[in-house]
Amino acid sequence: MGPRTTVEKTLGILALLSMLVGSYVGLVVVPADAAQGDVQRLMYVHVPAAWLAFMAFFIVFVMSVLYLIQRDARWDRVAASSAEIGVVFTVVTLLLGMMWGKPTWGVFWTWDPRLTTTAILLAIYVGYGALRSFADDEEKRARWSAIVGVIGFANVPIVYMSVTWWRTLHQPPSSPRSVAPDILWTLMLNLAAFTLVYAYLMVRRIRLAKLDGELEKRMAYNA
Amino acid sequence: MCLVGPNGAGKTTLLKLVATLLRPSGGDAHVMGHSLRNDPDEIRMRTGLLTVRGFLYDDLSAAENLHFTMRMAGLRPHRDVIARALERIGLAEVADNRMRTFSTGMRKRLALGQLLVRPIEVALLDEPYSGLDAQGMRLVDEVVSEFKAAGTTVLLASHQDGEAVREAEQTGILRKGHLEILPESETLSRHLSVGGPAGAPEVE
Amino acid sequence: MSVLRRAWAIVWKDLLIEARTKQSFNAMVFFAALVLFIFSFALGPDTELLQRVAGGLLWVGIAFTGILSLSRTYQNEETSGGLEGLRAYPGDPRAIYVGKLLGNIVLLLMVEAILIPAAGILFQANLWPHALGLAIVSILGTIGFSLVGTFYAALTVNLRAREVMLPLLLFPALVPVLLGAVNATTLILEGDLMGEAVVWLRVLGAFDIIFFVICIWIFPIALEE
Repeated sequence: MGPRTTVEKTLGILALLSMLVGSYVGLVVVPADAAQGDVQRLMYVHVPAAWLAFMAFFIVFVMSVLYLIQRDARWDRVAASSAEIGVVFTVVTLLLGMMWGKPTWGVFWTWDPRLTTTAILLAIYVGYGALRSFADDEEKRARWSAIVGVIGFANVPIVYMSVTWWRTLHQPPSSPRSVAPDILWTLMLNLAAFTLVYAYLMVRRIRLAKLDGELEKRMAYNA
Repeated sequence: MCLVGPNGAGKTTLLKLVATLLRPSGGDAHVMGHSLRNDPDEIRMRTGLLTVRGFLYDDLSAAENLHFTMRMAGLRPHRDVIARALERIGLAEVADNRMRTFSTGMRKRLALGQLLVRPIEVALLDEPYSGLDAQGMRLVDEVVSEFKAAGTTVLLASHQDGEAVREAEQTGILRKGHLEILPESETLSRHLSVGGPAGAPEVE
Repeated sequence: MSVLRRAWAIVWKDLLIEARTKQSFNAMVFFAALVLFIFSFALGPDTELLQRVAGGLLWVGIAFTGILSLSRTYQNEETSGGLEGLRAYPGDPRAIYVGKLLGNIVLLLMVEAILIPAAGILFQANLWPHALGLAIVSILGTIGFSLVGTFYAALTVNLRAREVMLPLLLFPALVPVLLGAVNATTLILEGDLMGEAVVWLRVLGAFDIIFFVICIWIFPIALEE
């Protein structure tokens, strides 16, 4: 791919630094939770990862809409890049959720609305990715994935509401505790760190996608 | 107008483009004054396409297939129109038999019949002679003459020889996507004008 | 309106062909019966358990059967020149979606009309007192299922590996429908003392309306060549 551009280098350094700071604060500085112990520190990675997983898909949605309106390949590239990166964050979220769940509640999986919706989000992402890998024609690939992106995203809030209803009918919702400022602040820090990581990965991935696109065009010419 | 050319030259593609089944990747063309890119529906309303395989349903009868064609073209299906069309293409006796029992030649005739039950201004025929016996080929020639007499433009692609091919007012040779119109006659087709890069819409 | 008239032409054609060949219907009924029987074998002697999970089992049967018919939605167009044939006709391409949608709904409802009573017999659940509720859930759920199914079937019809892509894409989209349908059915079968089923019926209804609008709107883009 060649040497990194200035933007990429800056973002990369910022991302790395913020992750280090965030991890340090989350693991060492902030006191452990009274009830759950150190395991609760997983929240500082689990929540930002979840946030980014959904944020990435929101970007996929926006780019898909833009593509369907303007048919510009650039939007498709951004959408596809965001989807790829989003999968990673989604898997991380689910794994961390399971890691948190086992010691805390004794089970790997709970049908918690947020966790369930995240799992479904993964399924949507996978569908998006599979669709792209099976479509050879550039235009069709962009168009079809844009459609799936739009519908998939529209589905996420509906899924969330359905699962929430389902759970509340079976058990009362857990009341949100008021969050101590320490915890909130650490969370925000890690959230910023994760966002920087996302941005860094996006910039690199989009550039790669652009190069890929040019390569495809050249191969088509020579064929 | 008749299109000739070797296999793979793009005759079918060109016909499908005019029928608005394919989108031009570059440039634009106008059929009867309507743009392919912006007004495809107007073109579809006035164009009839005869393909090699035909758009026919095996499990419907000949009459039912034509009935469906009329409905989809937005027309109220009249039994006389259908009966007359079946008469014309020589399938009146088997009108109620399922298409599954038809031979290739009979299917081709029925596909031709689909063009007769709609009022079209442009008829696009892709290899109309294929699968037909001498009688069938004569039928195609007659129908083409009737179209011409009624003022319908006929764009015919064939690599078989036939009367309609020879009687074409204009002939074009299509080779690897490039169209060369032979200067055999001054009369340009009234209804079909092609504009855009290279004189023919670019094919993918 | 000409969209409805052309949609109706497609429904008529598809149902006529189906009535003559019965290819989809027979396969669906057979498959549904198979599913019901296997569940009966698995949960067999414990009739109380069977009755508790009857709602879920029913919808497993309906969902799998539905997917079977969905992949065939556009398949009978293949021998007649593919979707291209339908696209060559003038008029709004949405008529194709509406036509195929109605065809799928009718077919699936017909299979359910057999499947549900059969389930009642096999699972020894008395269904008659709940007939109205069950009918409403069936209809709303089937509509929701067919809405997304017909749409994605069109999207994947020209794709390699479409047999795997269709269920893969459908699964996340069907979660709300299946949640709603299964819960409503189970509640109805239990007598629904607290009127909770209505909540789920509303979820189903909302899903149906939202996705009807979205799918019908985007359909022409999915169909472009």
